[in-house]
Amino acid sequence: MGEMRRVPGGMFRQGTPEWVLDWLDDADQPLPRLWFADETPQFSTVVAPFRIDRFPVTVGEYARFVRDTGYRTEAERRGFGLVYTEHGWVERDGVSWNAPGGPGTGGTEFDDHPVVHVSFTDAQEFAAWCDKRLPTEAEWEFAARGPDFRIWPWGDEWDPGAANTAELHAGPLTSLAAWQQWWRVECARHGPVPRTSPVGAFSERGDSPFGCADMAGNVYEWTSTSSRLYADTVRCDPTVAMAMGRYRVIRGGSWMNFRYQVRCSERMHGDPGGWSSFAHGFRCAADLQR
Amino acid sequence: MVRIVVPTVWTPQGRTDFEGTPGPLDEVIRDFVARHPEFGRRLLDADGAPLRYVNICIDDDLIPRHQRAAATVGPDAVVTILSPMAGG
Repeated sequence: MGEMRRVPGGMFRQGTPEWVLDWLDDADQPLPRLWFADETPQFSTVVAPFRIDRFPVTVGEYARFVRDTGYRTEAERRGFGLVYTEHGWVERDGVSWNAPGGPGTGGTEFDDHPVVHVSFTDAQEFAAWCDKRLPTEAEWEFAARGPDFRIWPWGDEWDPGAANTAELHAGPLTSLAAWQQWWRVECARHGPVPRTSPVGAFSERGDSPFGCADMAGNVYEWTSTSSRLYADTVRCDPTVAMAMGRYRVIRGGSWMNFRYQVRCSERMHGDPGGWSSFAHGFRCAADLQR
Repeated sequence: MVRIVVPTVWTPQGRTDFEGTPGPLDEVIRDFVARHPEFGRRLLDADGAPLRYVNICIDDDLIPRHQRAAATVGPDAVVTILSPMAGG
């Protein structure tokens, strides 16, 4: 189940260097420096050799898991899921992994798209079924950029045709207002359905040094790592600080994001208590000794 | 005095700390929105009920969704609004 890439172990400097925060400060983007502080400081990490899925888990793969096990996701059990409408995030009845925008929005044409509306537990259950596991945060970042720092999986120069981000659909975005305007138009045309793309659609152009695809954009990806700050001295957003020890790290950004949120060292933190959305998926990893 | 903490990115100025009033948690949130209607879309649904997917901590305790309606905010508590996906 799922093509995997072998990633040799190694030591690397996990996290974001200060020069990237300086660059973000100077960039035409709306978020303050403090918002990115949880990515710092860089620190040395050793990862053992491992394997990781080349692509995020697809709808078709998740369907096989469901057929084989009868598993029902947390969104299915509670009867609703989270989508972003022209009015913001809304819990909508009937939204799930096979109906990502609500009843009637799924279909076999999405079988090669990454699965969404999967909670942390839903992702873990799938991984266990195929004898894999979720990657750690360190493994994910190492697989995305290799031992040397780079902003995006392909390098330090932004390439709008190398990843599925909001900028692929809307053109360059520099403000939340511009993003909202784009999304209002999209919702009016198609409704609040995810703008995922078939996995690998941007290969090899957008691939990581280890040949992993869709590590920038497409869907946010769960990791197994419990959120923590990289140093006790880090001063970050107070609500992000409150997520530490409570949430799990999410990596990669998604089709909803600007270029700045799909960087290899960008961190987000997700509620592992059953929450999911129409932009959240995952990929699996495995130890090498198998 | 209750202190209500929101994400840095919710205001253009990066303000995170606001004053609130003690009482039942849902009422604390409604009162906060009444004072700061710019946060209404982020905290209340179309019917004016607090959005349950938005997590809330009272001091250091994350209040589970099913316990929100019965939760109470004391006079010196810190209420932290925690998005289900934080940071980014």
